[in-house]
Amino acid sequence: MIALLGWVREMLARLFDKVDLPLLLALLCVMLISLVVLASASGENTRLVLSQGVRFGVGLGAMVLVSRIPPARLRLWTPLAFAGSLVLLAAVFVFGTGRSANLWLNLGVFYLQPGELLKLTVPMMLAWYLHSAVLPPRWKTLAVCAGIIGLPVAMIVKQPDLGTGMLVAASGVFAVFLAGIAWWRIGLFAGLGLAVLPATWPFLLPHQRERLLTFVNPESDPLGTGWNIIQSKIAIGSGGFSGKGWGQGSQAHLDFLPEHTTDFIFSVLSEEWGWLGVVTLLALYLFIIGRCLWIASEAREGFARILAGALAMTFSVYVLVNGGMVAGLLPVVGVPMPLLSFGGTSAVSLLVGFGMVMSVRAHPKFMGT
Amino acid sequence: MRPTRRQKLKNLHAEAEQFRRRALVGFLGITVAMLGLAAGYFRLQVLQHEEYQTRSEANRIKPRPIVPARGLIYDRNGRLLADNVPAYRLELVPEQVPDLEATLAGLGRLVALDDEDLERFRATRRATRSFRPIPLKLRLDEGELARLAVNRHRFPGVEVVPYLTRRYPYGPLFSHIIGYVGRVDADDLQAMGDSRNAALTHIGKAGIERYYESRLRGEIGYEEIETNVEGRALGVLRRHDAKPGTDLYLSVDARLQQAMVDAFQGQHGAAIAIDPANGEILGMVSLPGYDPNLFINGIGHKDWQALQAPSRPLFNRVVLGGFPPGSTIKPFMALAGLEAGLITPETTVLSTGEFFLPNQARGYRDWRPGGHGRVNLVESMAQSVNTYYFKLAYELGIDRIDPYFQRLGFGEPTGIDLSGEIAGVRPSRAWKRRQFNQEWYPGDTVNAGIGQGFWVTSPLQLAQGTAMIANGGWLRRPHLVQASQDGFDRPRVPEPQPPARRVVDNEAHLSAVRASMEAVMHSATGSGRVAAAGAPYRMAGKSGTAQRTSRRGLQSTNPADLPYHLRHQAWFIAYAPAEAPTIAVAVLVEHGGSGSGAAAPVVRRILDAWLLPPPEDTAR
Repeated sequence: MIALLGWVREMLARLFDKVDLPLLLALLCVMLISLVVLASASGENTRLVLSQGVRFGVGLGAMVLVSRIPPARLRLWTPLAFAGSLVLLAAVFVFGTGRSANLWLNLGVFYLQPGELLKLTVPMMLAWYLHSAVLPPRWKTLAVCAGIIGLPVAMIVKQPDLGTGMLVAASGVFAVFLAGIAWWRIGLFAGLGLAVLPATWPFLLPHQRERLLTFVNPESDPLGTGWNIIQSKIAIGSGGFSGKGWGQGSQAHLDFLPEHTTDFIFSVLSEEWGWLGVVTLLALYLFIIGRCLWIASEAREGFARILAGALAMTFSVYVLVNGGMVAGLLPVVGVPMPLLSFGGTSAVSLLVGFGMVMSVRAHPKFMGT
Repeated sequence: MRPTRRQKLKNLHAEAEQFRRRALVGFLGITVAMLGLAAGYFRLQVLQHEEYQTRSEANRIKPRPIVPARGLIYDRNGRLLADNVPAYRLELVPEQVPDLEATLAGLGRLVALDDEDLERFRATRRATRSFRPIPLKLRLDEGELARLAVNRHRFPGVEVVPYLTRRYPYGPLFSHIIGYVGRVDADDLQAMGDSRNAALTHIGKAGIERYYESRLRGEIGYEEIETNVEGRALGVLRRHDAKPGTDLYLSVDARLQQAMVDAFQGQHGAAIAIDPANGEILGMVSLPGYDPNLFINGIGHKDWQALQAPSRPLFNRVVLGGFPPGSTIKPFMALAGLEAGLITPETTVLSTGEFFLPNQARGYRDWRPGGHGRVNLVESMAQSVNTYYFKLAYELGIDRIDPYFQRLGFGEPTGIDLSGEIAGVRPSRAWKRRQFNQEWYPGDTVNAGIGQGFWVTSPLQLAQGTAMIANGGWLRRPHLVQASQDGFDRPRVPEPQPPARRVVDNEAHLSAVRASMEAVMHSATGSGRVAAAGAPYRMAGKSGTAQRTSRRGLQSTNPADLPYHLRHQAWFIAYAPAEAPTIAVAVLVEHGGSGSGAAAPVVRRILDAWLLPPPEDTAR
């Protein structure tokens, strides 16, 4: 019996030996906060909280498994994984289903959102390509990178899923940034981007234009998006410095705040836990990002380094975009608060990404060209 | 640094250093952004806390949408064709329902809920945000209302809501004109997005209801409701009034519409009557029709199956149906010949029963074996002499026929105010190349001369063309809505129409064709003379038969011998009174055999209904 227990312990220890403990602890903290806030936001709906717990469990399991795959093998699989995710993305246009856009593939057992896969495979592919390229990247290299980023992003935006497209594009841009693209080139691209931005207006869908207009003037649509933003700001502002306390958020509980378990959960946290809660969570997020970037810097090989770094920096986009959106500082884009919002797909893909980072940490000796 | 950048070899150590610097810059950037975000929250939560605290405490106000009454639809004489009647519906707000399955089961004991109701509810729920109410059952009856009133406290999040529901008092009579409204489905919600339109329960799905949806709907308003701590409404603070939908006056005459249905005496087909003077549609039937009232609250499975019959009751043959025009093309072909200077009214052609192209063995037949002898324009029309038009079309050539018929509106949508109108087919070299990747043969032109071969026209296009001949060469957009009115105390505003186009301006050519069409009805040899016999007014027309099977060999086919589904489509176009036309019609009788035999009597009954005073006894 004792032998058996010892064996189990040893197996567990072996399973977790590739896990980065500080990172894991920080992630667990965020997930715990998520479950507590969800319990309040859902009106103590145990089923909802349990189901989110199960999703976190699945995500953590996937993370532990992925952390055991050495980066060398990951690198070997990368072109195949990238091509496969592109095929699935294309399949969405033919077989896709969804509530406001065809984003999902029905696989019988569960629904798959290929856009979510691209959040991992695009930085992987860029890291794969850049690890053998001469760095800092020059025009030819950059052109290839633009293709790797542009094709999937164009397809995702076409679906239309602006939020995911933005995150995928960000992950690619960060990979190129970390590969050491010259500053003057960054300036050139940024300038070009700003110049082209107004020209995208005619290509926006009606609901996207509506969101931009309500961002400028929330009172113009008091029954739709504008209402959400107004109510979310009231929730955040009324939370004050130390918050109203768990379960005391009147905005969420009186149903003034819509989507308060998913996209707007951060406003519930802000209302009930105040500015202190906000800063605590942001500090946790910043620690996670910093830890990942440090792990990336320690890596001795280009693929692992760029992949881990790009994933870490992309994580910050979730936080900044969702945090800015619910406070009315940014227009409404469908981006969840990472590991806090209710929903399984993005939690699992994020945790798989952290699994990759942990694998980089656990295999420092990996060398290759 | 410049020399190292030009180096083509990888410098692993430098890359690692470069990455370290970039990671640091990235982290600093993210830190600054996070601090900015924290500062933004600090402003909201600490600096502006007082203000938001007050607003939160005062936050007992919720907007509630007000759906305005849908615009009414009248006929040209003010008879109500579509109105609104009060009703009650059962709604659920998913977010406020603690246990949805138990609530649905409990409600099922009070209200008759069938599987379709539940299925529709679940589908809508998937497409709706959970704080919006979803209708579960429409048109509750008295008993259900009473049972719900008693048990209401047991079901939080469940509401009985009064609303206005659509009603079509004439039932199937106007089905293909007015169409119907149906319940908003998941696709509609997706199209409407997250706007105030999400408060709608019904939306125009076909006909006028669909084409004029945005005007009939009006503008949704909202009121600000004060709620107590549990979220229950206490009172209305402010109203942002809804703008009621616009009332529409159709040019259709309900009495003529009924007469047109009766004129078919149970046969299937389509008919449309136009006022040649302005393009107003006076009546339009496609038979069989359907009862639009079935669709309003969600059509049941059995009713839906019945509408999938091979006779296609939901299919509007007038606008969506395409058929070869057969000999009804001849008046237009004659116009083309006159305008091109190829024929005059006096030109004669010898019909021997068969027409041959130079150097070809295949003959093109007249319908009368042995032919009609030597005929001029009037006789060619009256007796529908194919040889005359074979020769004419051959001499015109497809390259002149195609642009001329484009001018007359064939092969183009007329622009009627109904959606989905077909363009039909106006054959040409380019069209055949595109469609079949084949050469154009002279024989194709010959067939086109009598409206066979590749031609496809809708009854609507033929009626528009007939009206053009009747009114002196003006092509006008056929339309159903004559005027609109924003509220009963406001003036009726005529619906603006695109300007008419004069497509034929030679009066001599037009009167030659008109004379030939009058001969069809009133001369001793005219194919429509039987149907026109005894009429107190003069009319003009042309028969046509669209073949489903081509004649093979030498034996002529008797249409009555063919199986029902292969029988010909009988056409008749006409206008009256001949000297000052007030109505132009196109009639198609499906599987009816010959145009003069099956469709002409229908035309006569329609013209009588429009031109003769109604019989006194039925009017009373």
